[in-house]
Amino acid sequence: MKMEEGSVSSLDNSKLEGMAQDILSELVEDACLGLCFEVHRAVKQGYFFLDDTDQESMRDFEIVDQPGLDVFGQVYNQWKNKECVCPNCSRSIAASRFAPHLEKCLGMGRNSSRIANRRIVTGNNTNNKSESDQEDNDDVNDNDWSYGAEKKAKKRKSDKVNILLTLCCCYCYFFYFNE
Amino acid sequence: MDHTVSKIMSKDYQMKAAINQKLIEMGERERLKELLRAKLVESGWKDQLKAHCKDVIREKGLEHVTVEDLVTEVTPKGRALVPDSVKKELLQRIRAFLAQHAAL
Repeated sequence: MKMEEGSVSSLDNSKLEGMAQDILSELVEDACLGLCFEVHRAVKQGYFFLDDTDQESMRDFEIVDQPGLDVFGQVYNQWKNKECVCPNCSRSIAASRFAPHLEKCLGMGRNSSRIANRRIVTGNNTNNKSESDQEDNDDVNDNDWSYGAEKKAKKRKSDKVNILLTLCCCYCYFFYFNE
Repeated sequence: MDHTVSKIMSKDYQMKAAINQKLIEMGERERLKELLRAKLVESGWKDQLKAHCKDVIREKGLEHVTVEDLVTEVTPKGRALVPDSVKKELLQRIRAFLAQHAAL
């Protein structure tokens, strides 16, 4: 650049000022564009002229404050006392109890599998008591590691985990001592 | 002569591009944008322009108005309507940034 020393700073200043104006100009244009997009979307979605509604029509949309109604004026506890027919077992159930009943009836809720498991365990124990006398020896050998399993009516998950852990530990010790 | 002129111009262009990049990287451009938007709303610029938009829409028809229509009608008026105080404040901040970060 062919410039003299003295005028360098002033030229750079004017250049800087020019850049600042350019940057401002771009920012203003961004703001205008933003507004255009906002307005265009409001027009196409149909809510641009919403605040121009007359006082008369506005009264249709006032908040409702009556007992038994929600803010839109709809009745909200209409189905409390109705009864529904279960599609699975064809029983007539009260509406508020319908969802929990369906869970158990279809076997799909969180608790229905637990209840089913519990029923299986109690069902097995009452069935197997007559047979266990004949297979006594086998039972004694089998039950060496599973302490208390034949005594407890409910075989809980923690007991099964304990049995597994004990088995693993024993195998590990076996291998270590045989090295 | 033409060769040196084009050299000068490309150097300016480079410097401008470098400054813009710095503005963006340091988050300053976003902050300036937000500041400008807030000031424009505060000063009633947005409401003025929105009223002008309503006229444009009524003229072009609600169904047929396009983004281009709005941009061509609104942007020049928008530029002109920015209050001087807002311009001054923004320029101050920009100059401060340039003073700090423009490598001369």
